[in-house]
Amino acid sequence: MKLADILFKKGKEAGFDDMEVYYQKNRSFNLKIFENEISNYSLAEQEGMSFRGLFDKKMGYAYTEKVDETSVDMLIDVARVNAQIIESDDEEFIFEGSKEYREVDNYNPSLEDISTQEKIDIAFELERETKAIDSKVEAIDPCIYTDSFSESIVVNSKGLELKDKSNLAMLYVGVKIKEGEDIKTSSSYKMTNDFSELNPKKIAKEAVEEGIKMLGAKPIASGDYKTVLRHDVSSDLLESFTSIFSAEAVQKDVSRLKGKLGERIANELITIVDDPFRENGIGSTGFDSEGVATKYKKLVDKGVLKTYLHSLKTAKKDRVEPTGNGFKGYKSSISIGPTNMYIEPSETSLEDMISDIDKGLMVTEVQGLHSGLNTISGDFSLSASGFLIENGKITVPVNQITIAGNYFDMLNDVESLADDLEFVMPGVIGSPSLKIKKLSVAGE
Amino acid sequence: MLSKALLEDIINTAMSTGGTFAEVFVEDRYNTSLYLIGGKIEDGMTGRDFGVGIRIFNGFNSIYVYTNNTERENLLKVAKQGAMAIDKAKKDIIMDLTRKDITNLHPIKIMPYTVDNTKKVDLMKKAYHAAKNYDDSISQVSVSYGDYEQNVLIANSEGLLVEDTRVRTRTGISSVASKDGEMQTGFFGPGAHMGFEYYDTFNIEDYAKEASRIAKTMVNAKHCNSGKMPVVIDNGFGGVIFHEACGHGLEATSVAKGLSTFTGEMGQQIASKLVTAVDDGTLPNDWGSANVDDEGTKTRKNVLIEDGILKGYLVDKLNGLKMGMEPTGSSRRQSYKLAPTSRMTNTYIGNGESKKEDIIANTENGLYAKYMGGGSVNPTTGEFNFAVTEGYMIKNGKICEPVRGATLIGNGAEVLNKIDMVGDNLCYGQGMCGSVSGSIPTNVGQPTLRVSSITVGGRKGDN
Repeated sequence: MKLADILFKKGKEAGFDDMEVYYQKNRSFNLKIFENEISNYSLAEQEGMSFRGLFDKKMGYAYTEKVDETSVDMLIDVARVNAQIIESDDEEFIFEGSKEYREVDNYNPSLEDISTQEKIDIAFELERETKAIDSKVEAIDPCIYTDSFSESIVVNSKGLELKDKSNLAMLYVGVKIKEGEDIKTSSSYKMTNDFSELNPKKIAKEAVEEGIKMLGAKPIASGDYKTVLRHDVSSDLLESFTSIFSAEAVQKDVSRLKGKLGERIANELITIVDDPFRENGIGSTGFDSEGVATKYKKLVDKGVLKTYLHSLKTAKKDRVEPTGNGFKGYKSSISIGPTNMYIEPSETSLEDMISDIDKGLMVTEVQGLHSGLNTISGDFSLSASGFLIENGKITVPVNQITIAGNYFDMLNDVESLADDLEFVMPGVIGSPSLKIKKLSVAGE
Repeated sequence: MLSKALLEDIINTAMSTGGTFAEVFVEDRYNTSLYLIGGKIEDGMTGRDFGVGIRIFNGFNSIYVYTNNTERENLLKVAKQGAMAIDKAKKDIIMDLTRKDITNLHPIKIMPYTVDNTKKVDLMKKAYHAAKNYDDSISQVSVSYGDYEQNVLIANSEGLLVEDTRVRTRTGISSVASKDGEMQTGFFGPGAHMGFEYYDTFNIEDYAKEASRIAKTMVNAKHCNSGKMPVVIDNGFGGVIFHEACGHGLEATSVAKGLSTFTGEMGQQIASKLVTAVDDGTLPNDWGSANVDDEGTKTRKNVLIEDGILKGYLVDKLNGLKMGMEPTGSSRRQSYKLAPTSRMTNTYIGNGESKKEDIIANTENGLYAKYMGGGSVNPTTGEFNFAVTEGYMIKNGKICEPVRGATLIGNGAEVLNKIDMVGDNLCYGQGMCGSVSGSIPTNVGQPTLRVSSITVGGRKGDN
């Protein structure tokens, strides 16, 4: 990048040592269908660039969306000012590069060949299919086709230059189901960069069936219940709690996993993996935003905590190898996150898993994840819906209840796992369904 | 930001295929965010967002395109790409943009960019020390500071041309209390549509101590009882109950499509007679205020519910067309990357006549929710949930032991009818609201009030 060279040259003159540029470019297309018309049609092309550099051993950051030479002076000035206020003792540095990088292909060129008309057609088809399934479908909203392309470049003054590109399409439908005065909503979607894998019929069916099953749902009596968290609910919870594995959180004393390396933190049935090379994984990548090669690792192996997720800075502080988990957008500084992180499934079917439950609860949806749980304490209390399990079978739908517990305790209380590993939106966290000894339910 | 002639050309190009309305939104925004943890500044980020969003209406449907390449040729190319989504006869329009001067209701005294970073750092440290030294149980404190200056220009095919500057400042203090291997947190995050003068209007140390007091109280608290019970929700951020339980359902976004439980209820009694609810984007220098909304319509005071009767919705231009209603000056968006739609600004339940002491004394057994966290709602079913971040059991009309981990769930329409006491101590709290047009600053507010029965989710029996 020519602009990076100018920045590095001027930055050096301004007193910076090592410097790095992170550039991102995105293109997106978005269609919303409502009542047989294109209600929203949107196109975007957008780029941004962040600059970071070491000034007196402190890392200063700045970014701009005006990616041209007029931004150079501003980026350097602002990054210098920001570096000068940093007081953290943690040593930061710019990376010269890993020995080798594994090739990860997240870009499907065939997606670029799909015409706008084909995209419009598939979105209309999704609305039509959804409407046709059942007369109880009162409204369909949103009905969306969207795709995006993104490209990122890391280049630094130590000679590292890495490029990555990816694309992704999604078909999504939300439905309103009505029977008498009873209203339920549900949704389904598919994310992939292979257009031929988008199946409107299947997505429509999943959304409508899920909503219809919930008709007539009622709260159940308050109390402790043996609880099955369906794969998507367990994935949502794991996603909310990913920060407990961040070495940054551990080093700053805000993760309860501090000091637990090598100890058992979960039932021995639990193995949690971060796999940057997972096939068709939406989080798959060969390197992180600092240019560190990613690697496969087990965070938890048969219940024992094996490693935290590291950036360059946290790895240096803990005197371990970085794990390739330092990520950022151009607007943010580095933060630690997983690639494709999931709980390993077993070989038991969901049906078999619930067959020995006399009385229990199957949770298929939770709400309030951004407010009803605390990643530091591990406590959660969430609005939930699902089904009652009686004599080993799913019976009646349940809603307007809360489920409450503590995530750290819950990991120990897992009794079994199913074979149904799935990833949830935005697609980087997955889990199979879990059977939990008990959770507190508040209802009637 | 862009010349009048270029704006006119963009609008003309955007409407060249028969669009019925076109709008250009230009945004130039400077952001600063600083982060301190453990007493030391850990992160500093400053940057500039700059881009243009073009919206075209085709009857009741819309097209949105955006870019941050603001060269003339590119803007016209992008406008053309948007227009190509419509396939109608071209209409000739005569554009004459007239600049509209606005009265600035939210004057800024000290623009954040004129303030040296060290002053911002000093403020954060003051907050840190006050929070950390509050009690021995406080094991960690982090302070985040943010400010921005957002300059917007909005022009449309109706001849509107208006500019506005929004300056917002906020500091968030998070305290962690630890005891016997357990951790609990407390948070306080005051903000306003103000410059750095905001910090002369109060002492940041008071809020910092409050964050630590909440964390300490909660680490010593037992799990909350579960079940249906009366709940007294305190003033200020407690207003999040109205925001979730009802406010989202009054946004034209869901009303126009018939997806809200409040569709078709205008003029009907939808809440207890004690409830009057207002959304007011004009409150001087308040967190959710602005001079004009993101479609260039002047903000105003909108009465949503008066004495329990539904009086108004929050309406944006596009949904207003569908509903046959005027826009209410509350169409908002996070940035040029999103099309605007009807959203809340500063939303509150008005004062009643009860005294807080009397509300508590009149409650035999129940939950007192002193501070609320966030929540969410499904506007189609009306089902909502939100978290109590500091709660206490009420026994025999007295506030008793603190309880942790409580969540309130219910149905918006039901809860509005179950509000049976409303206090006289209205105040506000600041939050960020996420919805279709992104994350935007919103104020919530209310006096202390009581809901006669609501489902409380806790973990009774766990101890």
